[in-house]
Amino acid sequence: MGMNWLAKIAGLAEVPVFVAIGEGAPSDTAISLCTNPALRSVETPRAAAILLVVGTIPDALLPQLHRLHDQLPHPRATVLWHSGNRLSEATTVGGTEDIGASLKDVHRSLLAGNFDTEPDILPDVPPNEWRGIGTHGQGGKGMMGGTPYGRPMAMTAADLRDGLELDAYTADFGPFLPMFPPGLALTLTLQGDVIQSVAVVHPPFENHENRGWVLLNLLGLPALAERMLRVSNDSDTTLRRLIHLSGARAAIPKSLGRTYDGSDVRARFDQMTGISEHAMNAHVHQTGLDDLLIGLEWHEAMLVLNSFDTAPLRTICANTSDPEPDEKMEGGMDHGAHAGHMS
Amino acid sequence: MSFAIALIEMLTFMIFGVFLAAVLDAFFYRRIAGRSGVSLLMPLYAAAAHLSRQRLTTEAPDRLNWFLSISGFLALGAIGLAVVPFGPQTAVIGMETSVVLWGACESLVVVLVFLHGWSPNSPLALIGAYRYVAIGLPIMLLSMFVLIAVALPAESLDLRAIVISQEGLWNVIRQPLGLPLFLLLGLSLTLRGPLDYGDSADLAGGTSIEDSGANRAGWQVARLAMLVGFSAVAASAFLGGYLGPVLPGIVWLALKTLTVMAVIIAMGHLLARMPVARMLGLIWKVLLPIAFLDLLLAGLVALP
Amino acid sequence: MTTLIAIILIFAFSILFTAALRAGVGAMSTVPIPYPQQRPILGGTDPETHAWQRFHVRYYTMTLLFVAFEMEMMFMYPWAVVFVQEGPKALAEMGMFLIILSVGIVYGWREGIFRWE
Repeated sequence: MGMNWLAKIAGLAEVPVFVAIGEGAPSDTAISLCTNPALRSVETPRAAAILLVVGTIPDALLPQLHRLHDQLPHPRATVLWHSGNRLSEATTVGGTEDIGASLKDVHRSLLAGNFDTEPDILPDVPPNEWRGIGTHGQGGKGMMGGTPYGRPMAMTAADLRDGLELDAYTADFGPFLPMFPPGLALTLTLQGDVIQSVAVVHPPFENHENRGWVLLNLLGLPALAERMLRVSNDSDTTLRRLIHLSGARAAIPKSLGRTYDGSDVRARFDQMTGISEHAMNAHVHQTGLDDLLIGLEWHEAMLVLNSFDTAPLRTICANTSDPEPDEKMEGGMDHGAHAGHMS
Repeated sequence: MSFAIALIEMLTFMIFGVFLAAVLDAFFYRRIAGRSGVSLLMPLYAAAAHLSRQRLTTEAPDRLNWFLSISGFLALGAIGLAVVPFGPQTAVIGMETSVVLWGACESLVVVLVFLHGWSPNSPLALIGAYRYVAIGLPIMLLSMFVLIAVALPAESLDLRAIVISQEGLWNVIRQPLGLPLFLLLGLSLTLRGPLDYGDSADLAGGTSIEDSGANRAGWQVARLAMLVGFSAVAASAFLGGYLGPVLPGIVWLALKTLTVMAVIIAMGHLLARMPVARMLGLIWKVLLPIAFLDLLLAGLVALP
Repeated sequence: MTTLIAIILIFAFSILFTAALRAGVGAMSTVPIPYPQQRPILGGTDPETHAWQRFHVRYYTMTLLFVAFEMEMMFMYPWAVVFVQEGPKALAEMGMFLIILSVGIVYGWREGIFRWE
């Protein structure tokens, strides 16, 4: 049948894996996953066949993990590595086993149909049933009077940079994005692609790896990021020369993400990629995420977030004050009177 | 009949080109990352792996535009290859204003990449789409100045005439600023490296974040097809296309196209991407004046 | 005429190819996609609103200048074809046009249209 030869060829490929990092993940996780030739770490769960959970996901983030799990396309499987979580139908791989071989086995069995693809964890219900105030669903706040079936549209708010009142998009950007430090979940209000307000939902996990490779990846240099992970010592001159020639340092805007002790993303980048030897401890006692991220464009904000080591980042998250609640709701309701065109 | 033969030649060129582009991409990535070797069949395995998975949609997507953006992107790459002459009067699309047609393709790419990010109704994809337009538009200006400069000595907007005008000297030598600027357009059209504002890593895949299965395979094939088409246009406009001493014209064209593809892929892996506001300023304040200079020099040289 | 046929053929091939990629290949391709799988990617959380919104297009003022340059490109197409015939007069004309538009770039620069707002 047609499926068999396709499944056989597909089984020869590198296994596309989406990595969800939890607490207690070994600090050389990134290195061991990237040097393993059997698998390829993808940046979105839609491209992955297997969800690899490394480390234990705490209970507070389990709903996010379940939602993430349900977003993978079928046929899918979950593999737990160094993890204390227990997901039904997931394969657990012990710490000493070869992760590449296990993943390849799981992938081949999935494709051959030996393994059943994992069903959804969450129930199949639409995100909102129609809901209003009255008994027949009528009435309610805002432009639409009640919550429409599906999802509502975003409401307007003034922009920080030029005061234009367009739609502000608020959402929790979750812990399992590849460009967020593991475990960090933020509530961001975006006006276009510029951050208007930030609140911390969950601080990043403690972890001691050098995340210079993430910065290189964010700067559009995934091959150099992988090279940096593979190189065992910092004194690889080819890597230094390639980073220098790529203009990565010049691409980072000057005085981006400046903390109160005077270090900016460029200085931290130098330190993380081993260009500058002087190891400084970022003094971040008074800086919070709202000082650092508000008003930055998305790319710059990601560079700032990933330029800190985990311990300073946890301090920064603790220093972040919550924005005033319902400030935006007020603004949205004022426009309810002369809306009409929005529904 | 020769039209049918040219069409078949073009299809074969495109298929081999897409395959070789995927192999080159994997090769350069691995060399630079410090890994060893690449199997020639890796791209096929990866494509099979994509196709073996489900094609998902999101809540309330724009289905028609999702499909059109992928198939349209593929078609635009093919049109780029179609305007390129394989021999003295052999081009699938042979018209007096083929440079204008290529310009239309460039602008439609901006539209289609935007639609690709718009369709899934997903926030990170939408940011990628809007960001791409900001860079895609001025890059197009650069490329058109450079192509006009190339058209000056040929006294024609026909790509066939432009190739013939290089019989004495290739345009890469007599208009040295042209090809580097044109390669930037290539990076932007194929969403690579320093100009990959549509599918970038800081948006977890940008416009392709919600693509799975056949959609993902289709978009990647379309990007590679655009790379082939663009490289063929660059090879014809700057490197003399099918001109060359001993081998048949199409072999020379294939070699030159491969060279341009390799250069673009290498640039994609070796150059850093700056935040979009900086790149916008760089294009308008630095690169566009360089394009003016290129045009001025080309005009002075072309005058009798 | 053959141009139009070629373009139509190319678009038809692309549409057929993309449709063929989608049809039938891939496991469970006819199964309806449940709501949890349709959720857009935010890293694990549930979005509250649609992503489609009145997005702040911060480069809007830049696009106005871009349109001016596009019109110049329209002028340059026929100019390129007759340039060698017309000689230095044509060069001078194009130079004047470009200088006027460059004043536009400098004005825009000072007004901050190349900033991301």
